[in-house]
Amino acid sequence: MLEAKTYFDRVSDQLPGDVEARATALAAAEAAGLPTRRQEAWHYTDVARLLKNPDSAAALPVDFESLDPLMMTFTNGRAEALPEATGLTLAPFETHAEMAEGAVLNYNAALAQDGLRAEVSGALTQALVVTTAGDAPTHLHHKITLAPNAKAVLVDNHMSSAYTNARFDIALGESAELTLIRLQQAGYQIGTSHVTVAGDAQFKSVALVTGGALARHEAAVTLSAPGAHAQLHSAVIGRGKNHADFTYIIDHEAANTSSNTSAYNVLDEASRGVFQGKVIVRQDAQHVEAEMQTRAMMLSDGAEMDAKPELEIFADDVACAHGSAIGELDKDALFFLRARGLDEASARHLLVVGFIEQVLTHIDDEAMAKALRALVAQSVSTQFTNEEGA
Amino acid sequence: MSALLDIQNLHAGVEGTPILNGLSLSIRPGEVHAIMGPNGSGKSTLSYVLAGKDGYNVSQGEMLFNGTSLADMAPEERAIAGLFLAFQYPLEIPGVTNMTFLKTSLNAIRRGRGEDEMDAASFLRLAREKSRALGMNDDMLKRQLNVGFSGGEKKRNEILQMAMLEPKLAILDETDSGLDIDALKTVADGVNALRAPDRGMLVITHYQRLLDFIKPDVVHVMADGKIVKSGGPELALELEKSGYAEYIGEAVNA
Repeated sequence: MLEAKTYFDRVSDQLPGDVEARATALAAAEAAGLPTRRQEAWHYTDVARLLKNPDSAAALPVDFESLDPLMMTFTNGRAEALPEATGLTLAPFETHAEMAEGAVLNYNAALAQDGLRAEVSGALTQALVVTTAGDAPTHLHHKITLAPNAKAVLVDNHMSSAYTNARFDIALGESAELTLIRLQQAGYQIGTSHVTVAGDAQFKSVALVTGGALARHEAAVTLSAPGAHAQLHSAVIGRGKNHADFTYIIDHEAANTSSNTSAYNVLDEASRGVFQGKVIVRQDAQHVEAEMQTRAMMLSDGAEMDAKPELEIFADDVACAHGSAIGELDKDALFFLRARGLDEASARHLLVVGFIEQVLTHIDDEAMAKALRALVAQSVSTQFTNEEGA
Repeated sequence: MSALLDIQNLHAGVEGTPILNGLSLSIRPGEVHAIMGPNGSGKSTLSYVLAGKDGYNVSQGEMLFNGTSLADMAPEERAIAGLFLAFQYPLEIPGVTNMTFLKTSLNAIRRGRGEDEMDAASFLRLAREKSRALGMNDDMLKRQLNVGFSGGEKKRNEILQMAMLEPKLAILDETDSGLDIDALKTVADGVNALRAPDRGMLVITHYQRLLDFIKPDVVHVMADGKIVKSGGPELALELEKSGYAEYIGEAVNA
């Protein structure tokens, strides 16, 4: 990000908060430089190269309106109107930069102009849909806190065509429940999440990436007290040179915590899917259950899937498993469907949609699942139309 | 009456290995034919060749379905023309509900036949009626296609698809395999309910047992890729007593 310094100097007097602290963060970021493949966590994702790949995909509309959600949009890094609802407090962006580790978070600290500051104190009846739009590079720093017993569904709807660096700090109080739905259809995004889950609380993340030259979704989830549960499910429909990377660290700090992770990638053309998942079970964290599954359906010889599941277990009475399956479209299943009257394109469509559905099925809100299902169906159809046209 | 299915001197194989060696068979509308034979005689290959599975190639002879050659038709074209294969091993398709699958299939076939698609309400009524007749509960329609189904449920589901699609020719490939006696009866009842003057059936089985429930008009013995003997239902009983040894020998000596 050579231009970051120039940009900072130009806009620094408009940035909220302590400009000195921002300058320090920027200097740290510039000194470290964007991650390279020499760093283990970025081995499969070459940020500098991917940022140069053109991304001409247009985001398809998603029918969130039918859900009657709370809507909020960040256009080119600035929030438009803040919605209001009982049990939800949205504060204005605060005024100081926070130093962090690594260039990605320090650029964020230096340049973030805005972000969600949400405190959920009750059970929200409406989903909160946060859309990132625009065509200028954007840095956002979101903080979401759920009080004990609070419930919320949050949608991170990434539609910006430009580079977005988004940081999420999420904290769930005891017995709170958060469903975070992340959607990326286009553009370039590096998202970094830190999630802490208190006792008996449930964090569920369902991510759907249908496009984008760069989608890096990194999450560190800490299960800090007994009964804490996390689910992280991701679905990728890749084509062209799309690159989608899900990198998770799930830290079972406490006994009787559980996690369930699944990654479904359907990859066509020269697209690439990356899954890095590390489950850590601390020494005193007995009776932990952790499961991690990666599945990839390869539709082209040029596509690539890299799956790296890791278990680091220090306790002795736990049930942890991981599995990975990478294959082609099932030819026998294709024949079965064709023998039932579906032409080849329709049969392929149904198999791909069914594959992705295994992730969408984790969304409890039927109307929300339906809206995303429609997007998946349309996205997969577009792909076949493109193939026929090529 | 002209034949519904007319196979003459069919030679076919899988990826270059010949399996069918001059098979001839003719089924007229309304008839139920059974093909019995030892393992490896080519029974399932015949069903795949008829349904048009990739990699199963005809090298000689012909297969006419209602007077039209099947050889150059895609699997879906054969289904639209009215040919139905009940699979020996029905596929599991995660993420696709049985209901979605049935509806997609039925409407693909209706479109292919130049008919209007069935609306959602009529479809639901029909699917419920047909599945209840097969002793399936509504829950089975909502579940993912064949995922976690027992052997009996999968076979019942195949017969449900057949009942929904109303084919002209149904090929049942070892529909009895893996079924206990109760499931066998239910499946056979479902098949018998579909017997009709304008519909033909080809029941492929290893055991005579299924034919106690689905009474065939003609029984064929298949060995070494061709029909070696044909007869009435009594032939099946004969086989039950004496086994296939005689035919295996015959085929080898031939």
